[in-house]
Amino acid sequence: MRRASGGIEVEGTVVEALRNATFRVELANGHTVLAHISGKIRKNYIKIVLLDRVLVEISPYDLTRGRILFRYPATRAH
Amino acid sequence: MESAHSDALRAVVTRVTGEQWRAVADGREVGRGDASRRSDGRVFLSVDAWHGAVFDRLAEAMLAELPRPLHTLVDGTDHDTTARWERAGMAVRRREWLYRLPVGSRPDVVPPPPGVTLLPVGAAEQGPLQEAYSAIRAEIEATVGWAAMPVAMPPEPAGAPIDPSRYAVAAGPDRYEGLVRVVARRRHARIGLLAVRADRRRRGIGRALLADVLAGLHRDGIDTASADVDGSNAAATALCDGLGGRRVGSGLELVIR
Repeated sequence: MRRASGGIEVEGTVVEALRNATFRVELANGHTVLAHISGKIRKNYIKIVLLDRVLVEISPYDLTRGRILFRYPATRAH
Repeated sequence: MESAHSDALRAVVTRVTGEQWRAVADGREVGRGDASRRSDGRVFLSVDAWHGAVFDRLAEAMLAELPRPLHTLVDGTDHDTTARWERAGMAVRRREWLYRLPVGSRPDVVPPPPGVTLLPVGAAEQGPLQEAYSAIRAEIEATVGWAAMPVAMPPEPAGAPIDPSRYAVAAGPDRYEGLVRVVARRRHARIGLLAVRADRRRRGIGRALLADVLAGLHRDGIDTASADVDGSNAAATALCDGLGGRRVGSGLELVIR
């Protein structure tokens, strides 16, 4: 976990795809957040699918919400 | 915890590089904007902010400082972000549909026309594939332009070799007549560019090629496939509909000129 820019960045796994380009992401500590796709991800036409490992920036104003900043390659070792 | 509203009121927007903007309140970043040029020349913008007012200020700064035209992408169901970009001056240029395509063999698919052989993903030869891609790309550029293609379908980088492991082709007697780009990740495949040479269209080559690819994906253990389709491309939407595709999402491209 690291703090960068406005929010805290943590890794998680996409466990549910919801409407409105929003995903439920389970974090390593077991908490889940509702995360939308960052503009940069959308602009680079990166598709997020179930079970993707992602980097989420948690909102500093609401710790249950965040935005997906990065999708790790499927082959990444953990 | 900080107040998003009070941060938005205090935020100062600064252009930090030629392509990046930041909104900072009390030393903390509360929003950022980014511009990037695609290989087809179009410049796409993105803004990420926790508060709508910060989004608006970043968008306003970027649109004021960058040469036009400028583009952005918004999820088709994200009415709030769409409205924000529209208030900033952008207009919806088109909608793209995300289709979920069924994988597996279909009994109702007609074979390709006589003389045309379907080669599965990875079976194409590099030289003829490169020639077919170059010819088809030139046809697109000379007619509708690559900007008419779905945004999720970028052209191959100029001068880069075409990777046969990502393409299936329809082979004629002396050249490849059509091609389809397929990228698989985990158990999902994305269908990219599907194109047939202009003088060989309306013969069922594209439909046969795509159906063959979907059947091959099933044999390879792929569960699902998807494709982005320009909503105004009647032939492409009819093809996806005809193969049992379902619209599961959409995206909007907005532009300011």
